[in-house]
Amino acid sequence: MIEAEFLASLIAASMRAGTPLLFATLGEIVAERSGVLNLGLEGVMVSGAMTGFYVSLVTGNPWLGVLAGGIAGLLLALIHAFFTVTLKVDQAVTGLMLVLLGLGLTGFLGRDLVGQVATYIQPVNILFLSSLPYGNAIFNHDPVVYVGILLVPLLWFLMNKTRYGMELFAVGENPEAADTMGIPVDRVRFLAVLIGGFLAGIGGAHLSLAYAKVWTDGLTAGRGWICLALVIFSGWMPQRAIFGAYLFGGLDVLSFKLQAVGLGVSYHFMRMIPYIFTILVLLFSVIREREKFGAPSALGKPYIREQKF
Amino acid sequence: MQIRIEKRLETPKIVYIIIPVASILASLLFVGVLLLAIGVNPLEAYGVMLSRAFGTKFGFTELFVKTAPIILTGLAVSIPLRAGLWNIGAEGQLYMGAFAASFVALYFSPPVIVLPLMVLFGLLAGMAWASIPGFLKAKFDLNEIISTLLLNYVAIYWVEYLVYGPMRGKEVYNFPYSDLFNDYAILPRFFGTRFHVGVIISFLIAIAIYILITKTSYGFAVKIVGSNPKAAEFAGISRKKIIISTMLIGGAIAGFAGMMEVSGLHLRLRAAVSPGYGYTGIPVALLARGNPLFVMVAAFLFGLLYVGGSAMQTTFGIPVAIVDVFQALVVLFIIGGDFFTRYSISFGDKGEKYEGEKG
Repeated sequence: MIEAEFLASLIAASMRAGTPLLFATLGEIVAERSGVLNLGLEGVMVSGAMTGFYVSLVTGNPWLGVLAGGIAGLLLALIHAFFTVTLKVDQAVTGLMLVLLGLGLTGFLGRDLVGQVATYIQPVNILFLSSLPYGNAIFNHDPVVYVGILLVPLLWFLMNKTRYGMELFAVGENPEAADTMGIPVDRVRFLAVLIGGFLAGIGGAHLSLAYAKVWTDGLTAGRGWICLALVIFSGWMPQRAIFGAYLFGGLDVLSFKLQAVGLGVSYHFMRMIPYIFTILVLLFSVIREREKFGAPSALGKPYIREQKF
Repeated sequence: MQIRIEKRLETPKIVYIIIPVASILASLLFVGVLLLAIGVNPLEAYGVMLSRAFGTKFGFTELFVKTAPIILTGLAVSIPLRAGLWNIGAEGQLYMGAFAASFVALYFSPPVIVLPLMVLFGLLAGMAWASIPGFLKAKFDLNEIISTLLLNYVAIYWVEYLVYGPMRGKEVYNFPYSDLFNDYAILPRFFGTRFHVGVIISFLIAIAIYILITKTSYGFAVKIVGSNPKAAEFAGISRKKIIISTMLIGGAIAGFAGMMEVSGLHLRLRAAVSPGYGYTGIPVALLARGNPLFVMVAAFLFGLLYVGGSAMQTTFGIPVAIVDVFQALVVLFIIGGDFFTRYSISFGDKGEKYEGEKG
């Protein structure tokens, strides 16, 4: 049963490769729900990846690395929040500069980390489940993978069942009305951007500490941009994000696996697949979106109270 | 304490000069701290940067050689930006231009038509590459920021595929290079340096684009679409045509940049055609506020940065990534500073505290 084994290992690898995407996508969903677009996801993720790798290398504790990755993401998101929420600056401009900043800083500060070996996150067996036939596919992952899965219902609950979730929707859809109702628009947005940055940072740290297990310049290789597309694909709903993230995780590993099988297709063509597929998925989403889904109405628009009064 | 933000009715002119200058100084300071952190004296590093660019004939001409492609990518971002579009794909368009021009250079004859055809194919390839996101935006309103960016990766892998595969040269010792171009496929150089005729053309293109966007009705239509889409619709301007045409012009210019880099500088196709000039076009366009004349000035600043960056790398081993950091900081400081041109801020905790309408 080579096929079944291949499939099992593909599922396992998809989950592992998809976890960084899942974290970043979920984080960005929260931020965009509040009306703030963070185009700097790529820069945020790469900062998390490098910081996480560095901290794990120095302390020998990959969990401190993951935490540090989250904090690094949070700090970059703090810049974004300050510029876009506090100063009401154009969200696209700040986001794009965040990409440059993240890639630049990590390229600069991470130069000595290239080629180093840090302590990586190890998989855990969940009870006896991993000993089931092909149980390894789903039940033999590192804890971050499972935290990612748990995050999905958690964020769903946060967004749909709590007061903060309600406020999040309100400021993302109609900040004027939210303001009138006494919801602190800026505070809700600021927090949402920080949550987004923290999660994207953790995603980055998982990338360097559990999936790629290495630090190279620009390690994220466009994953931040893919996540921005995944947010649209998921219709701003956490429960859909997990499918998109694992799908693209699978695509990522598939290109390597097909390479190993020796299909005779050039490595470089394989590497193009995720990017082309992202555009296709995005196209599919925007065509479909006209019927069912919608972005938060105030997405990308700064809210300035003086404009109203 | 309450912070009050009010829209300025009038902005003092001096602010428009102070902010960019202060932003550059602040960025230099910030980068200086980073340099200190890795044990490099920032004053020495900046000294090396300036003496390389202005101290030698080679460095000075190199300044123009590096400025030229940045002017072009700055324009490639600026033109769509005037219509409200983000072309983050200048890098990919540049690579496609480089590929098409190299294809002509390596396989076409007779010699006399090669250089003109390289220009033509470079323009067309950049245009074709930019037409994809342009079309998707106009037809489906597909986010052009994401699509242009993603296509960069595809274009770069395409060129990599070529130089590792079918276009790899015979005498390149496993380097990802094509063979060297023949003399007739190379842009003329001057002063015994790398200063090639493409540099002059780049400046001329900037001036031509300036005339196009400020003196023609097309330029006016672009501006209306970018600044007031409703008015554009009212005036009967087709937004879709403007979206696609600005992307095509931007792509063509970036494609020419690719042609220029392989024909004027590398003299062959290689995996690394550009160190990220396409991305540098973004801060350049922002700093220049979409004005082609200012694009030349801003591009010069970043050209200096690239020349200085490589000087700092060879002298102190400082990663060139510091250039990206500087670019991002300058723009962040400027847009942060912009806030103060549009709003005045006062601090205080007494009176006039806005409570909002409790409903």
